[in-house]
Amino acid sequence: MSVAVGGVSLRGPVLAASGTFGYGTEIPLLERRALGGMVSKGIFLRPRKGTAPPRIAETPSGMLNAIGLQGPGVEALIRDYAPKWAEWDFPVFVNINGETAAEYGELAARLDGVPGVSGLEINISCPNVEQGGLYFGNDPRAAAAVTEAVRRRTRLPVWVKLTPMVSDIGVIARAVEAAGADALCAINTFVGMSMDLNTYRPRLSFRTGGLSGPAIRPLAVHLAHQAARAVRIPVIGIGGIVRAEDALEFLVAGCTAVQVGTATFVNPCAIAEVHDGIGAFLRAKGLASISDLPRYLPRD
Amino acid sequence: MFLLDVALTGKRQVGRDMFVISMDAPEIAASVRAGQFVNVGWSRGPLLRRPFSVYRTDGERIEIVLKAVGEGTAELLAMNPGDRLSCLGPLGHGFGISSGPKTVVLISGGLGVAPMPLAAREAHSLGMRVSWVHGARSASDLCSESAGDEVVWATDDGSKGFGGTAVAAAPDADLVLACGPNRMLAAVADRWPGALVAVETYMGCGTGVCLGCAVPLKRGGYDRACSEGPVYRASDVDWPSLPSHLPYAVTA
Repeated sequence: MSVAVGGVSLRGPVLAASGTFGYGTEIPLLERRALGGMVSKGIFLRPRKGTAPPRIAETPSGMLNAIGLQGPGVEALIRDYAPKWAEWDFPVFVNINGETAAEYGELAARLDGVPGVSGLEINISCPNVEQGGLYFGNDPRAAAAVTEAVRRRTRLPVWVKLTPMVSDIGVIARAVEAAGADALCAINTFVGMSMDLNTYRPRLSFRTGGLSGPAIRPLAVHLAHQAARAVRIPVIGIGGIVRAEDALEFLVAGCTAVQVGTATFVNPCAIAEVHDGIGAFLRAKGLASISDLPRYLPRD
Repeated sequence: MFLLDVALTGKRQVGRDMFVISMDAPEIAASVRAGQFVNVGWSRGPLLRRPFSVYRTDGERIEIVLKAVGEGTAELLAMNPGDRLSCLGPLGHGFGISSGPKTVVLISGGLGVAPMPLAAREAHSLGMRVSWVHGARSASDLCSESAGDEVVWATDDGSKGFGGTAVAAAPDADLVLACGPNRMLAAVADRWPGALVAVETYMGCGTGVCLGCAVPLKRGGYDRACSEGPVYRASDVDWPSLPSHLPYAVTA
């Protein structure tokens, strides 16, 4: 079940998605043997308090969240968590966030060479304060600039997590590939909103939130497929995976690995079940390894 | 923390729209402390689990108390003995009742009765005299079950017992424990800053990773109802910043 993805070898194709797994120390029931790897909760240079409650709202087959990237800042992450990761038998990627391209670069430099950190996942769904709050991930030049800023400052594998809130994901995918990304993660949450009919206000204090869960799965499979068709580097599929069949859809659509997120909130053993289910599927189909799984990836 | 596939074993009505559901969950029954909760899911149910304080334990069974306030709780109440549930728990930090106090007062508003029978049992086992003040809008909203050496009823409309809030009706005691709407808990904090209160919040995972159940603290910042809570020292919470209306019945 091992796969090679953007500069690292993973013992399995199923990773824990950023923001759904904390720093890997919180879920005691987890069967770690099934973890191909983990992406940490998103980190900024400095500590962040997070947004006011309510931060989550359940929606049909999904949930909205606006946590506000609450976190302790990179120095506390290096001090408190990286030493633990260094002892683990699977790679940990750090999800990095900034308000300027330079901040992403600083984070990359700070995390380069830290034992326990196997790579970086760039969250480009942040507002760029130097461009009036336009999202890095919506603009191919800004997305490439952030990727370059990180690439220049680290020898670690660099993955870029793409936002679905774009008119052509292939354009962004090619831009960050050209800027030096080793792999793409597709996709981040969709921006959504839900109204409270008692207060006549949004259900989230932040007004909008990221939509995740099975509700977004077909959208995510499509966008991950579009990204995979646009580039030569591997794509890691993300979006509403609950069962092995869901993960296999992403793999068949052209992805090399997958991340499981919201499902872990519901079922702390979701990653192990997805991992084991992929193995069972391969055996049932008489496929010797995951690389033998047929991919639907027409190049036109 | 255990993740159990459990059978629903019983259901009884304890007030208008208020029901107690029991399930076989031996590992949780054996280890749960008053104020801790379980996160309950079921196939064909909503995406997220629903958190409930453990109401009572009886041998290998645990009980939760709920009202049908949303689609999720309505589905749960439509289930029958033998139906399967997924039960994750015990979760969070409970009241942590330990010896010392000679008297304790339990103050509950509406569904805030949820953690009180276990609290009464733990306090009794430590030799405390237990008073329990039940508050609700009117007599039919009160929970019909109670425990303790002294039981006080309080209704907003005066239809049973004291006419007014549970907080106003409560006697003083060495230890004050409360659970109910956050507005009520804010009033508890005004009268007894050292009271231990179980807060209501929206909740996602229940295990500390989603950061959805943020509780604003007076000292600044947030922590997690599911992990550091759901029980807090009343004066530690920034009550005006904690939303008080939930779409589903939670008193975790």
